[in-house]
Amino acid sequence: MFELLGAGIVNVLQFKYLLPLFIGTLIGVIGGALPGITITMTIIVVLPFTFGLEPLQGLSAMIGVYVGGETGGLITSCLLGIPGKPSAVATTFDGFPMARKGEPGRALWLGIWASIFGGLLGAVFLVATTGPLARIALQFGPWEFFSLFVLALSMVAGLVEASLAKGLVAGALGMIVTILGNDPVMGQKRLTLGMPMLEGGIDFLPVLIGVFAFAQIMTEVERMGGTHKAIEAVDRGVSLVVSHAKIVLEIVTRPFLLLWSTFIGLVIGVLPAIGGSAANMLAYDQAKKFSRHPERFGTGTPEGIIAAESSNNANVAGSLVTIMAFGIPGDAVTAVMLGALTIHGIQSGPLFIVQNATLAYGMFAAYIVAHALVLAILLPGVRWMLRIVDIPKAALFPVVLVLCTIGAYALGNTMSNVYVLLIFGLVGYAMVKFGFPLAPFILGVILGDQIEINLIRAIMTDADPWLFLTRPISGSLIALSVASLAFSIWQHYRQRGRAEVEADF
Amino acid sequence: MSRDGIAGLAVLAASLVLFALTLDLKANPMVPVGPGFYPRIVLALTALLSLGLVVSDVLRRKEKPEEKPKQKLNYPLVAMSFGVFALYCVALPNLGFRIATFIYVVAASALLAPPRGARGWLGALILGLATAFITWLIFERYLSVLLPRGRWTAF
Repeated sequence: MFELLGAGIVNVLQFKYLLPLFIGTLIGVIGGALPGITITMTIIVVLPFTFGLEPLQGLSAMIGVYVGGETGGLITSCLLGIPGKPSAVATTFDGFPMARKGEPGRALWLGIWASIFGGLLGAVFLVATTGPLARIALQFGPWEFFSLFVLALSMVAGLVEASLAKGLVAGALGMIVTILGNDPVMGQKRLTLGMPMLEGGIDFLPVLIGVFAFAQIMTEVERMGGTHKAIEAVDRGVSLVVSHAKIVLEIVTRPFLLLWSTFIGLVIGVLPAIGGSAANMLAYDQAKKFSRHPERFGTGTPEGIIAAESSNNANVAGSLVTIMAFGIPGDAVTAVMLGALTIHGIQSGPLFIVQNATLAYGMFAAYIVAHALVLAILLPGVRWMLRIVDIPKAALFPVVLVLCTIGAYALGNTMSNVYVLLIFGLVGYAMVKFGFPLAPFILGVILGDQIEINLIRAIMTDADPWLFLTRPISGSLIALSVASLAFSIWQHYRQRGRAEVEADF
Repeated sequence: MSRDGIAGLAVLAASLVLFALTLDLKANPMVPVGPGFYPRIVLALTALLSLGLVVSDVLRRKEKPEEKPKQKLNYPLVAMSFGVFALYCVALPNLGFRIATFIYVVAASALLAPPRGARGWLGALILGLATAFITWLIFERYLSVLLPRGRWTAF
């Protein structure tokens, strides 16, 4: 394992891989720092540029975007009080107050170094667990894979912030997208609705681009054109110079906080499609609960920044574990990576690490090196990142949509994918407006085919439906799905009960 | 009925229509279950879940009225932005990538932030020109991605 990792690092340090990794990290930091531009949107923009590259070059660029984006989001959180991305919301709670108290450099670099530590601790987990988990998954038959994918969908539907019913309907809608066009087992036409463009089925990437990029931009557009509250930022000319040794010491002298926040980030990352925003908030909340001085949270305490930032970078490692070991995207960003793997003809899932060891360890290495590159970018350039928020959205959004269109078009050099993007952009926006979560929908689109293929394979092998319950792993996974849904229902009623009690007072 | 109920009814109707369409699908002798087997499971499940959404919405409405959102949002701008993007998608195969992209970027940026005076328009025109030219150059010349040629313009 260590030999392969060492070889991976040497490989990635070659100019032809280091350049896309550096550019990806830089774009990620910029995209992360831009309020209103999510990491998913940034990676979608980068996607078409990777089509002509080697798989490791393209995936390195994407990993760079992911790591850079998670760190970049804290810059505006700390200095302007505006989270650059949803997974930096909790960073704002203490980062901005600390900056306003006259310590902007400390706030910023505590966040950056905590991100680096969280990310690198996450790398240990990523390298150590992906292979063993994939080996376990290799023992799976179609019954286990079916149950695993059902578990992933039920967990996502239950863990999103919207109601459980809406989460489940969103997941089911995603699965409906996969039944249109053709049967993935025999290739027979079905439910084409008389549209020739549906005959080959619907590719998930244009759907994802439409739902995450187009719909996200439209939710930003609806806030434009009105009066805006002036940004209460810290003085942009203020010094951001700090003693890095002191900052690092401040973090490593809180080992429990760092390890616990990293653990939370990893667990949330491993759970499918939940994402860094939940990790960021949960780690902050946990840090506050465990703190001897919870009253200091929200006033500029270093614990708040360390917890929030170490968790969201560790989350990246957790998401990569899920996609590399099981082929299930941990969030929308890894869903785009899954698409990139497919474009290069690489099958994700448990066989990925066995059949593509060089690529897999190259990805691990890219993840580790990206953290060093973040430092290399931010040490000289952190002040410039503040200027990025001055880029007008009116100029940015059309350019982003053009790149999204190229991404969809270039998947098969066909306009059909562009029309799919347009239609699902509208569908995604409607879902946002009606309060449906997007994560279960997109997971349904990605896993729908796999659920069907494994279901049919299981029936073709043995028509006994009880095998889904009587095979130990499959039965356990189904039981976990039921438990996950039951937990969500219990949580929903508990929250409702609490809300009613609060309303009574 | 609130937005949950309306959305639930729309999904219920769509899933029932699609379910009816699966009844015409013929079984394949090569596999024990036909191409309609899995779609029927998914659509029946969707119909049940959406029905649950409608029922829970009706029951909740009896308990307490829904609060109206306070924030005022610019929906006409969203509709126009969507319209301009839809026109861009239609124009791409007819005008070609470079012309359509130039027009789209100028129009969309002008729509989102109306340019002030000649200088503002010049900025929008430069942005449109730069986007069309640079993306075309990178994708066609360096990444071997062939972008749409115009049916009407051959450009």
